[in-house]
Amino acid sequence: MAVIALKDVKKTFGAVNVIGNVNLEIADGEFVIFVGPSGSGKSTLLRLVAGLEDTTGGQILIDGADVTNLGPAERELSMVFQSSALYPTKTVRQNMSFGLEVQGLPKPQIRERVDRVAEVLKLTEYMDRKPKALSGGQRQRVAIGRAIVREPVAFLFDEPLSNLDAALRVEMRIEIAKLHQRLGSTMIYVTHDQVEAMTLADKIVVLDRGDIQQVGSPMELYERPANLFVAQFIGSPKMNVLPGRTDGNAIAIANNGAIPLGSKAPDGIVKVGSRPENIALVPEAEGHIRGTIDVVERLGSDTFAYVAVEGLETVTVRIVGNAANVGVGQKIGLTFDPQQLHLFAADGKVLGR
Amino acid sequence: MSETAVQRRPRRRIIVNKRIAPYVFLAPFVLLFVVFLIVPLIYAFDLSVFKSALVGGTRFVWFDNYKRAFTDANFWAGVGLLLKFGLMQIPVMLGFSLLFALILDSGVVYAKSFFRISFFIPYAVPAVIATLLWGYMYGPAYGPFSQLATAIGWPKPDFFNDNTILPSIANIAVWEYMGYNMIIYFAALQAIPTDHEEASLMDGAGAFIYALRIKLPMIIPTIIVTIIFSIIGTLQLFSEPYLMINLARNVINSHFTPNLYAYTLAFTGQQYNYSAAISFVLGGVVAVISYAFMLAANRGVNK
Amino acid sequence: MTIVGKTKSSPGFVRSRWLLTGVLGIYFIYTFLPLIYVITASTKTNPDLFTSFGLWFSSDFHLWQNLSDLFTIQNGIFLQWLWNTFYYALVSGLGSAVFATFAGYAFAKYDFFGKKFLFALVLGAVMIPQTALVIPIFLLLSKIGLLNTPLAVILPSLVFPPGVFLMRAYVDEAVSNEIIDAGRVDGAGEFHIFSSLAFRMLMPGVTTVFILSFVASWNNYFLPLVVLNSTEHFPVTVGLAQWYASAVSGSGGSLLFTVVMAGALVSILPVIIAFLIMQRFWQGGLGAGGVKA
Repeated sequence: MAVIALKDVKKTFGAVNVIGNVNLEIADGEFVIFVGPSGSGKSTLLRLVAGLEDTTGGQILIDGADVTNLGPAERELSMVFQSSALYPTKTVRQNMSFGLEVQGLPKPQIRERVDRVAEVLKLTEYMDRKPKALSGGQRQRVAIGRAIVREPVAFLFDEPLSNLDAALRVEMRIEIAKLHQRLGSTMIYVTHDQVEAMTLADKIVVLDRGDIQQVGSPMELYERPANLFVAQFIGSPKMNVLPGRTDGNAIAIANNGAIPLGSKAPDGIVKVGSRPENIALVPEAEGHIRGTIDVVERLGSDTFAYVAVEGLETVTVRIVGNAANVGVGQKIGLTFDPQQLHLFAADGKVLGR
Repeated sequence: MSETAVQRRPRRRIIVNKRIAPYVFLAPFVLLFVVFLIVPLIYAFDLSVFKSALVGGTRFVWFDNYKRAFTDANFWAGVGLLLKFGLMQIPVMLGFSLLFALILDSGVVYAKSFFRISFFIPYAVPAVIATLLWGYMYGPAYGPFSQLATAIGWPKPDFFNDNTILPSIANIAVWEYMGYNMIIYFAALQAIPTDHEEASLMDGAGAFIYALRIKLPMIIPTIIVTIIFSIIGTLQLFSEPYLMINLARNVINSHFTPNLYAYTLAFTGQQYNYSAAISFVLGGVVAVISYAFMLAANRGVNK
Repeated sequence: MTIVGKTKSSPGFVRSRWLLTGVLGIYFIYTFLPLIYVITASTKTNPDLFTSFGLWFSSDFHLWQNLSDLFTIQNGIFLQWLWNTFYYALVSGLGSAVFATFAGYAFAKYDFFGKKFLFALVLGAVMIPQTALVIPIFLLLSKIGLLNTPLAVILPSLVFPPGVFLMRAYVDEAVSNEIIDAGRVDGAGEFHIFSSLAFRMLMPGVTTVFILSFVASWNNYFLPLVVLNSTEHFPVTVGLAQWYASAVSGSGGSLLFTVVMAGALVSILPVIIAFLIMQRFWQGGLGAGGVKA
């Protein structure tokens, strides 16, 4: 049904280059998430797709047609905003009907569609209320309903869960996932929360300062990040990154030890990354590097040990379950799984292993 | 997903482009603004650089009228008078407005809403009628002050001689605008979040100290704005003295205030050109004084 | 906010409460002095004005007679003046409120060429002494040939720069950009967004501007004085002032004194009553305007 394509899309605000050269293709029915820190341009990119901002250069195509000069409604896209942006002087029903009224659909048809969507989203008992009489979660559901009712080519979400409290966020996240399953529509979703990104996306687009860092499935980004930025952005707690040097068949870790590899280490290693779950705590003498346990966090399902290593930043280590024998102040050794190392060159890109 | 994919084309209707929209919205206001603000100013300026006489017709005289205005004793007497007037009236009016606003805001008095509403009523009364009423009340024949004085055996107060005319007019201005300024201060004070109040209570400050040392400084920008508007208003004084001419014929002359002077020149003397020049010079004086005050105030605030 | 609830009602505290209330009470008396005067004076006969105490009623209650004189003198011209005032104020108030709202909305929600310059210009306009414009407007109207018509008073009054400021600040506060974007995504044109979404959210602000403009127009004296010269077009301010002038100079006959008072009473009552009714709405708006002006 819908393929959305961005070709060489650029956006500048005055002298500031907000979106660099972006090329992206979104397949029909895909759930794509734009993720990145604040200021990365992810919301701007979404708004460019929506037609709420004009491109400074490049083209946007929907279903093969060039929509670059069309406004949002003509592109037949719907958007769910961070603050839900419901019309405060209108009831829920009127909010959901507004777009269809603007299109000129006959009233009975509007009513029928609105009722149908309301039932799916369980909004039927709120239809005559005004937004201020609804809770945050209810408002977002109405906003989603307003988007669905227009039967758009694709749905756009601009950080829709950021204003909700943590528990509600989890609940709504699952609802959105189910919505995607049921409707099968193309969805573009913006968030700064990488947990949302990992759980909802078919494809993640990682942005930093207006440029795409990597595009791939959540697991691809997790297991094979293309550069340092993506490696440290995806995954919580963050990947441990240590300065390292090529040293024959091993990687020398500054002043502290070395991680042996099975074969020759590639040249040009500047940094080495390892996720907390790929590091093991061992007796001091057996470790690749040595350190002292600084802080222990016990979550019941996991234990996190923060190990102070001389000359380096704290290393985070994850242990499944409650590791009762791990304590603050212990002198400990760390071993790194050589199969799960990420090697970075000076420009931040990943080196083949 | 869309079963109804076919009938999605939106109907034609007039869509105001995002780029044109602001101009359309602004058009009526801007049009009127230009016609009734810009054009009159340009026209008046145009007038002010000409001179018309019975002999010789209308001729272009560069800035002759302005030179005349700058050396016109009547004009500057009027300005001086207004400065004196302003120094007398503005601190009194704003000072009391501030005091009453602080009192109201502190929540300490009874019947808060009643006072708040009633203090604003003088603003609803047209300046003309206020002057009229006070004119009556100042009157020697049937004004209550004179009546009271006679009853006690005191001489009747003369509100209309050289020394008392300014305070008499000042009183009217104070009466008219104190409520208005008070409400502005009150709103500003009310807008201050209550956390400050609680923090100061923790610090041990009582209501009075809190009001004086914390709230007052926080509304200084508002106070500055009201002072500037008071200055601008004072320098434009017209209605009150104009209406009292008949009551104080010897004291209020045709150049009592610069605006009165401009008015007389135009409508009694038919000297439209010179009157226009006077208006502009007055405008310049207002601009200079307001601007100077703003600079001084900003420097004081940013110290 | 009040500190009242937090401190004890010790006798010392209650005493200062009464003291401060008394201070305000004195000011209240001062505020109402002229209003008491106009009420009592309207009820007297002319000789009584001179003989009885100014601030209290006389034994002769003459109000109805004065009122009937008021509305019959000079063929009931006063009623005509009242109507004129209302008409001018209503039209100017509505028109200026609507135009100021349009303009404020444009300034608040759009970026366009010349925006900063135009806004600075409007700001400068607020600084211009209102009275400095009247004589030039007179000359302009004279050239166009609109002198001595209702339009001469209404048209200039449609320009209300403070209204533009108030509305701009209010639009910024009340209408979020996201709602406008949502309207655009829904396919509504800019004007449709304004009329069916934004305008309703702006009602309190629009009402405030309307009231301020209405009152300003009602109380306007200088402009109508200059641009009108037939009594049938006068608003109450100009008409009453004329009666007052002739009463003082003695040429109108002394009957006019009490009638002028009655006229003053009748002309301030509607605005005061309107104020009292509307004061709920504009309390916040006026404050916002005052702080931001």
